[in-house]
Amino acid sequence: MTRFLRTVIGHAMALSAGLVLVSGVHAEMSRLEDGDLASVSGQGGIYLSGDVSINELGGPVQNSYFGSCSDTAKKCGARLAYQLKENGGWMVLDDIRGKFSFEGLTLKVRDIDSGFGGDGELFNRDVLEIGLPNIVRFDSVEFKVATSSTARPTDPGFQQTDIFSIQMQGDVMLEGNLLVFPTGSP
Amino acid sequence: MQASLLGRLLGRSCVGGLVASLLLSSWSAYAELQGLTESELSEVDGAGIGLVLENFKFAHGTDVDNGQIFKIGGLKSTDGRDVEIVVNKLYVAGANSNYGETLGPVNLGRLVNPFKIDVLDGNDIGVPNKAVLEFAAPEMVDAALGYDCLSAGAVAGSGSCASRPASAELPNGERPDIGLQMNLVVGEDPSANINIHAQSAVIDGSYLRLWGDNARKQMVAQFKLNFYTPELSINACKPDGSGCGSKILMQNFALELALGNELQPMFFDVDGNGHFILEIAAIPTPQAGTIGSDGLRSSSDGAAWDFYEDYYSNSEYRSNLTIGNLSVGDRDFGSARVEGMLIQHLKIETRDLAP
Repeated sequence: MTRFLRTVIGHAMALSAGLVLVSGVHAEMSRLEDGDLASVSGQGGIYLSGDVSINELGGPVQNSYFGSCSDTAKKCGARLAYQLKENGGWMVLDDIRGKFSFEGLTLKVRDIDSGFGGDGELFNRDVLEIGLPNIVRFDSVEFKVATSSTARPTDPGFQQTDIFSIQMQGDVMLEGNLLVFPTGSP
Repeated sequence: MQASLLGRLLGRSCVGGLVASLLLSSWSAYAELQGLTESELSEVDGAGIGLVLENFKFAHGTDVDNGQIFKIGGLKSTDGRDVEIVVNKLYVAGANSNYGETLGPVNLGRLVNPFKIDVLDGNDIGVPNKAVLEFAAPEMVDAALGYDCLSAGAVAGSGSCASRPASAELPNGERPDIGLQMNLVVGEDPSANINIHAQSAVIDGSYLRLWGDNARKQMVAQFKLNFYTPELSINACKPDGSGCGSKILMQNFALELALGNELQPMFFDVDGNGHFILEIAAIPTPQAGTIGSDGLRSSSDGAAWDFYEDYYSNSEYRSNLTIGNLSVGDRDFGSARVEGMLIQHLKIETRDLAP
């Protein structure tokens, strides 16, 4: 059992003990009807800042192909290969590495019933709002798009064609809110 | 099936005990809930995810002095020299950006007609017995309700695009200015500078659908790209951005590209040598005797004739390109149209240029 689960269960036990203790005052509480409960919506939010780095110094695999970033003869980035056809070759995102830092990524539930040039009133629902962090700092972010004959570079018959590579560094402007909501009619 | 899923979930962790006690404690409210029958449940449609970007602005570029780099490399010219593309600026921002000089916010997608990620029932779109993954831009709407796709001052009821241009009531608008300024360096040659800007761009009605093909055991796709802009401009300047040449200006540019359809999907593959292959399969030839020698329905097998009639007359399968006015510098070349292009067969294969 993970530590997280143990913590959850621990809390739940404390909670049930609490429920027993407060049973004396239970009579003074009034019951919340289903209708009232349905109108209660979460008002909290989450604010995130930090950085995500991928193989900045090198990945965990050390072999004839992968190694530390200080070893110029080896590749140190992450590799993601996917096959589009049974027994076919592989599309590869290779040598993925770098660091993304951001401050002020926010998450909250927002009720929209106005604005958006009249759409808000028609929409009149809750959405999940992801507030983009305005600036994302890219530190030596790079990756290659390639095609390969085998999934692993250490497999026999390995052959790879690098199609192009992308290199990004510095501040990227990313402003606004991403609104996420279910569509369709369940 | 549900019971076994629940059983597995319960068996996996001790949380099961908690869930069970919660279920028991909510017993008193149970009487108010109604059971959903199997047939009712089967009517529930897998709802997709709607995405809208509000007050959105994206920009990145190269500014070496300030530690900003955005490069695309690893390309080779036909004579084997390295090609490097330095992206000076890539932006997606509100309309009236003056070619990316003043970036304002834009809304992408509408709450009532958003960008969507959805799993479709293939039976509804001509791909029998498949679940199809779709990424879609806002859908086209009835011309009586929509907005003209090209005009930056379009009003309701003027066309079939859902995204609205910027206006006094909607200052952000839902049609972004998009631009790419780049320097192209080939080997030791001094770099060439190329700038592409699209104003008040609309991609309504575009989608990418992905599914798997049983017979070929391969990923297949259907891609529709609609791109409308009142002005698409391309020009080349000196590498430092000073002094630009003649501008190629395409006014009222409309591209409706259909790559693959449900009868001829687009296949992706990488061959044994690691080369990428994109193929749009040819439409099967009619079986002998199903189409009469005079080509008329009366002398043919009805179903086969209808199949080919639909294939050749369905405008959804065809690509169009219209340019309202093309000008280079101060020369006007008038309008250009390429309409009703049908892809019979297409195969693109990458090759290694390096020996």
